[in-house]
Amino acid sequence: MSAETTKIVSKAVTNAVSGLSGMVGKEVHIFDFDLKKVKVKDVPYEFGGPEALIVGVYLQIKDRNGHIFVGYEPAVASELINMLLGQVPSSMLELSEMEQSLLGEVGNLMGSFFLNTLAEETGISLLPSPPAVMIDMAGAILDVPLSRVLEQGEETPIMTARFGTRDQHIDGKFLILPIPVIK
Amino acid sequence: MNKQAQDNDEIIVGMGELAVSNQPSAVLTCLGIGSCVAVCAFDPISRVGGVAHVLLPCGENASTTTPSKYANIAIPALLNEIAKLGGNKSRLVIKVVGGARISTAPGFDGTFKIGDKNVEEVLAALNREKLSASAMDVGGEKGRTVRMYLDTGKVVVQSVGTKPKEL
Repeated sequence: MSAETTKIVSKAVTNAVSGLSGMVGKEVHIFDFDLKKVKVKDVPYEFGGPEALIVGVYLQIKDRNGHIFVGYEPAVASELINMLLGQVPSSMLELSEMEQSLLGEVGNLMGSFFLNTLAEETGISLLPSPPAVMIDMAGAILDVPLSRVLEQGEETPIMTARFGTRDQHIDGKFLILPIPVIK
Repeated sequence: MNKQAQDNDEIIVGMGELAVSNQPSAVLTCLGIGSCVAVCAFDPISRVGGVAHVLLPCGENASTTTPSKYANIAIPALLNEIAKLGGNKSRLVIKVVGGARISTAPGFDGTFKIGDKNVEEVLAALNREKLSASAMDVGGEKGRTVRMYLDTGKVVVQSVGTKPKEL
């Protein structure tokens, strides 16, 4: 990965997280930022393993085989909903339409800020799909994007960033795969 | 990867992988599958069993590490590996699990329907081999973990928030 690519992707994820800061009215930090090549089948381990129960927001990068994923542990997603909506979900396994929509908007905002920064820096048009909110095992949620990526090869460059507040009320992971080609 | 169980460890069959064994203590496992399909085949006489973790319906190029990437290639590969360990195709008990549509969110142009297509192609590929599934747990909107126990050929499926069930 070139230094220029690292710099641009780092700036993009910083903007994505600052968008979240503005939305929740709290300072959100990036705790870990990593650009690396991994086996596609191992990507679910970024979220605790294929069987780990997570709440995920998925966006496709339109017209490209690119995927954005924001994942939280259920308790964290519940806290995020409480923070934004002022009420704790009655069940994380069956979120209401409004609760799902809220999480979708958070993912949408982060994905859009990320892609807008990349587009500004590179001149490449990168547009996100609408968000899909899913609550299930990490492997199951990631099956569709990983199947697409695995068609291209068994390894893929990914970007992961763990973000959150220092009080850990927000603690999530932002994943891009594969990293959009930047020349 | 054509994994072969050497002892009583659980063998994790990853995306696109295939595992076979004749060890009665082996457990062949696909963790957290969504749109993917687990094809479980067991010969109760020779006690040879195998699992293919299929990702996509059709394709041409499957590698040696991911022979189960495509359904049309995975089924012949699974039968071939089972035969190598002494399994008999005509005796196979086959169970098919997976192919969920994890999201019905709008705006994805059928992206999440890939599970339906995976199941269709698995069944078509079995049909081409003059085989059929004796039991299935497919579709729906929930992910599944699938375990096949080679002491009996029992296949157990579990989703989030539900108890394990034998198929």
